Amino acid sequence: MAIAMTGSTIKAHIGTWTLLAMLALAGCSSSTDTTQQTGDSKSNEKKLRIAVIPKGTTHEFWKSVHAGAEDAAKELGVEVIWKGPLKEDDRNSQISVVEDFTTQGVDGIVLAPLDDTALRMPVENAKKSGIPVAIFDSDLKDTEVVSFVATDNEKGGRAAGEEMVRLLGGNGNVIVLRYQVGSASTMNREKGFLAVMKANPGIKVLSDNRYAGATVESAQTEAENLLSGYKQPDGTLAVDGIYCPNESSTFGMLRVLEDNHWAGKVKFVGFDASAKLIEGLQKGYINGLIVQNPRRMGSEAVRAIVDAIRKNPVPKRIDTGATLVTGDNLKDPEIAKLLEIPK
Amino acid sequence: MKWRGAYTLIGLVAALFLLFGIFAVLLARQDKSGFLSLGNVETILRQSTPVCIAALGMTLVIITAGIDLSIGSVVAFVSVVVAWFLVRGMYPAVAFAAGIVSGAAFGFLNGVLVSRIKVGAFIVTLATMLVARGAATGLANEQKIDAPMSWLNSLLAVLDSDQKWMLLPSGVWVMVILAILTHWILNSTRFGRHAVAVGSNERAALYSGISVDRVKLAVYTLMGIFAGFAGVMMYARLSVGDPSTAEGFELSVIAAVVIGGASLSGGQGSILGSILGALIMATINAGCSQLGMSNWIQQMITGGIIVISVMLDRVRVARIKDR
Repeated sequence: MAIAMTGSTIKAHIGTWTLLAMLALAGCSSSTDTTQQTGDSKSNEKKLRIAVIPKGTTHEFWKSVHAGAEDAAKELGVEVIWKGPLKEDDRNSQISVVEDFTTQGVDGIVLAPLDDTALRMPVENAKKSGIPVAIFDSDLKDTEVVSFVATDNEKGGRAAGEEMVRLLGGNGNVIVLRYQVGSASTMNREKGFLAVMKANPGIKVLSDNRYAGATVESAQTEAENLLSGYKQPDGTLAVDGIYCPNESSTFGMLRVLEDNHWAGKVKFVGFDASAKLIEGLQKGYINGLIVQNPRRMGSEAVRAIVDAIRKNPVPKRIDTGATLVTGDNLKDPEIAKLLEIPK
Repeated sequence: MKWRGAYTLIGLVAALFLLFGIFAVLLARQDKSGFLSLGNVETILRQSTPVCIAALGMTLVIITAGIDLSIGSVVAFVSVVVAWFLVRGMYPAVAFAAGIVSGAAFGFLNGVLVSRIKVGAFIVTLATMLVARGAATGLANEQKIDAPMSWLNSLLAVLDSDQKWMLLPSGVWVMVILAILTHWILNSTRFGRHAVAVGSNERAALYSGISVDRVKLAVYTLMGIFAGFAGVMMYARLSVGDPSTAEGFELSVIAAVVIGGASLSGGQGSILGSILGALIMATINAGCSQLGMSNWIQQMITGGIIVISVMLDRVRVARIKDR
């Protein structure tokens, strides 16, 4: 087994590591161009640097938040650094991002926590290092922050529930496909919806303990399994109404309804919007979508943190609103603006 | 062999320093400082501790020409076990011990299946990966478990100002001690030599009187114990027992070990190399993150580095076959 180190082996090692370094360098230098920098750079005064950390980067929802954050950055003359967890919906990954920005010493952090508990420690550490933190979209338990900027999700869930009751005429069997455990925003949407269901004796909730999981793929699988349990011998569904609390679960459910030719035959209310979901709304496959205002959420959150840094008063809770979109009001200019998808 | 190892290690250290330099320069160009600070080094060490600890066990497994795909799930299971005990009011030390024991149990199960049933480690641990993930989700009742804060959470927390004498958080020290211990086991004990022999040539090892099955059983059980420690550290970081955590964790660990110079065909690997491999990956993550780099670029860089490491592995294997 004793193998002498030859000159060529040394060269191979050195060569490989040089290649590695170059690769890293190439990746990094290209990123200097892609890093989002906004605002007026002519002024000599050092620009405030705000890290905006979403839960993920691939949902259209977060793209709208990003656009809103950039709007505010331009207006306020600050720089926004947009960085989501490397692994979508991975708590540990998001903790690392918060820690990295804390170490780097940004001027403020705006965070949509993936978990109401797990993100507490890194946020406390950031505050200890003198970095103010604003929270958006989902709340953080027992932690003092600059402001909490979000949709009143329970209210949104109730709106979805009321629409469902109206669609069903107060009678029917309903299924709720939950999103994911520990995500406060969607849990409140489920809670609000279920509260309305409970208040209507004609409505029976058949299932509310299944979770769609983080991705469209997992939602699709879960929805398929869930619905196949309510399939009748003639191929129709023994379900009158379906509710999903976010974009990925709604889309996953929509795909399953389409594939099985159930779409349009069961009342379906979802949450959040995307091009595909709007299409579903137009086709009548989806009866209603509760739409948040992510763009406003992004801009209000950045505004809140900048106000706090500049020692302006900031409200502790900012509600960015939720609107019911149906096939009928889709064309309203205000709704259209809300649904506009950023490039 | 010794010399080759030394050159690999020098290469790794050089790569680590080079990466630090590159990131420091790039960040400085964006008017961001602090990458070379002690605080940043501490952050990177804290972030990479679970991977480093799991990489210790994985180095042993890979040296015997095996693989363990289940550790990510086992880490999640252990984090849930720890939280499960804490939530029921047990002492943190008891929860800690329960975490290690449950990790060891899964390792033992892997070891038994690999050595007795003689199916490939890849497929066995692929199966136990699902079993452990399911067990974690079931034990947590399909939720995460919010456990009360305890001293376990300070294992990987930022040091308070009155704790600065410790230099690094206690969890990082645990990792260092475990690394020294594993290095000693690998290089100075009969068991360590047997593990290398099994990985180099299993048949030859068998003919020379080594109990290959016992060696494998011990190696996978050790892997389980390390997965237990890694799971406790993961819990310390998350402060919740999360059955969905550490998805893909095993791949980071395997990548760290291979970057560190281990050969997937067995017989080669070093503890220090694996630790350096884990630190290189953590440094890339921290650097890219601080640069505000898009995730897709970061993922491609990490992927590229793994490809290069596997290429390095191939070059090594080819050279051994040449002789």
